Amino acid sequence: MNNAWLTVLTRDLLQAYRRRSDIATTFFFFVIVSSLFPLGVGSDSAILSMIAPGVLWVAALLAGMISLSRLFATDFADGALEQMLLSPQPLALLVSAKILAHWLVCGLPVVLLAPIIGLQYALPNEAISTLVLSLLLGTPALSLIGAIGAALTLGARGSGLLVALLVLPLYIPVLIFGSLAVAASQHGMSPQAHLSLLAAISLLALVLAPLATAAALRISVE
Amino acid sequence: MSLKKIIFALGLIIALTAATLIFFTHGLNYIGVNVALLGLGAVLMRQSAYFSDNFYQHASPQSFYPTAGRMIPWFAWLAAVLVIYGLYISFAIAPTDFQQGEAYRIIFVHVPAAWMSMVIYLAMAFWAGVGLALNSKLSAMMAQALAPTGAIFTLLALVTGSLWGKPMWGTYWVWDARLTSELILLFLYLGFMALQASIDDPRKADRAGALLALVGAVNIPIIYFSVKWWNTLHQGSSINMGAAPKMAATMFEGMILMALAFWMYTIAVALIRVRCIILERERNAGWVKELSVKEIA
Amino acid sequence: MALKARHKRFILIGIGLGLIGLAAMLILNAFQSNMVFFYTPTQVAQGEVPKNTGFRIGGLVEEKSFKRGEDGLSVRFIITDTAKTVPVIYKGVLPDLFKEGKGVVAQGKLGEDGTFTASEVLAKHDENYMPPEAAEALKRAQTQSNTVVMPK
Repeated sequence: MNNAWLTVLTRDLLQAYRRRSDIATTFFFFVIVSSLFPLGVGSDSAILSMIAPGVLWVAALLAGMISLSRLFATDFADGALEQMLLSPQPLALLVSAKILAHWLVCGLPVVLLAPIIGLQYALPNEAISTLVLSLLLGTPALSLIGAIGAALTLGARGSGLLVALLVLPLYIPVLIFGSLAVAASQHGMSPQAHLSLLAAISLLALVLAPLATAAALRISVE
Repeated sequence: MSLKKIIFALGLIIALTAATLIFFTHGLNYIGVNVALLGLGAVLMRQSAYFSDNFYQHASPQSFYPTAGRMIPWFAWLAAVLVIYGLYISFAIAPTDFQQGEAYRIIFVHVPAAWMSMVIYLAMAFWAGVGLALNSKLSAMMAQALAPTGAIFTLLALVTGSLWGKPMWGTYWVWDARLTSELILLFLYLGFMALQASIDDPRKADRAGALLALVGAVNIPIIYFSVKWWNTLHQGSSINMGAAPKMAATMFEGMILMALAFWMYTIAVALIRVRCIILERERNAGWVKELSVKEIA
Repeated sequence: MALKARHKRFILIGIGLGLIGLAAMLILNAFQSNMVFFYTPTQVAQGEVPKNTGFRIGGLVEEKSFKRGEDGLSVRFIITDTAKTVPVIYKGVLPDLFKEGKGVVAQGKLGEDGTFTASEVLAKHDENYMPPEAAEALKRAQTQSNTVVMPK
């Protein structure tokens, strides 16, 4: 539909592919954090399946967050970001391509990996499928909201920690509805209400976050 | 007519109309609120005299600095008087509650603090937005000056609510929608302050903070309506637009007086803080240097 | 074929509005099925509560249903939403505001026999504040004529 959009997307994906170790870091972070809990809490499967929805969602959320600071930093350093600001294409559109690339690289692997981690936590089958579905609907919102924070903290002192402080409060609704959805299906309730709220958050973020991120980038890069 | 004058005149008219309306509908039941509103109107009228006809001139930090200095004592004294009167009404005049006994009296701090936590956030987001749209320095400074007071009121609302919750509900804290969203509000204030503090260029910090404040404003309706949307442990609002307050008249009066007192306190403190921010940011401007020379001499 | 920039903008705005509309629909849809801090006795009766796990149940303590156990610590009462009822067993300290006819939220598990074993009992009070004399007068007015209703 839009050449510039596709170019940005393929460029970001290619860059991610060339620096595969970066993707692997996010990936292993998720695996390690979610494997730490059974070791710390003990291997009682009743307790594990009880804490699973929250723990897995928090792990997914943190994994998405640690990669945020890279979202614009390299482009900012090598001047590519400035070129995007100057280009005649709407900045929000280009930003949305970058966010999509971030989600494909950092969000999607977590979604795909979740069933295996879910087995570690002795989750029943329906709960695992709800977990995957909730992550699929919710993680785009994480990337979208996170992009605002990443853009705002671009060039600020200690931006890695600052991003956490700005973005985590805004992640809370996603976390609540995501883990409630899994817990609901675990206990024989319909997760449909929570899932549709997650989808709604993602859709709203899809419309508003690229605009806010573009505005934040214009503020940070000037 | 300048914009500031119009705003002051409107505020005055609203305060006086509200006072008259309350007087005619409720007679002397809410005499304290009446007196407070009349006082507020008088102060606003007195203040509007300070504003000359040029709005943009007054939107400059240089001319706002002395104006703010003259306004502070008015609001500070009004806050002090209202707090004393409000506490007197709340603790000496207001009757004991039929189900909660004396313990309900924490409401006179809790509810006004919770209101202020939301109102200040909206004011902060408003000034930040104005600063972003009109590129005016002073509005951004106002937003920055309001944030710490907002955070303090949010904390106060959380702490008093927690102390109230233990004897009444039987627990200090539950994760229901009202409490959780108020906690998020505290995080938003802290994030706003942290972001402003960690960007060195003040203009950039203002604009980045403004964007964050506007994004976070989504939370305010969620807090306010959470008790209606979900069935929470937190009770619904006792005060609603277009309905009689669900509390005895003197209780209502005490609560409104405390809210007005907190409001005046907020204005006074924000003005003091904005003066400090102006001095800090404009330290290289000629007028600040002249001022400091005058102070020393 | 390149679209004009203006047309492209219109299309984008259209897509944006469509997505917001869709989001609004999803939110409304979610609010119809309820998402709650506690479940009501009616929901318990209809089996719309989580199985094999604890949950919260809320309602009014039914009048004259409160009984203290022989050990002096455990209590029994019935939670009602005026349509259905659920019997509750609880061992522990009750909050000050716990009273028959008043709001309560209990956290615990539903047993096989339909009895709810609570691990925590919280009092939910309403948003009405008035002096005891006024409450007394309201009550009297209510008992005298059914047309006068307590402000909700």
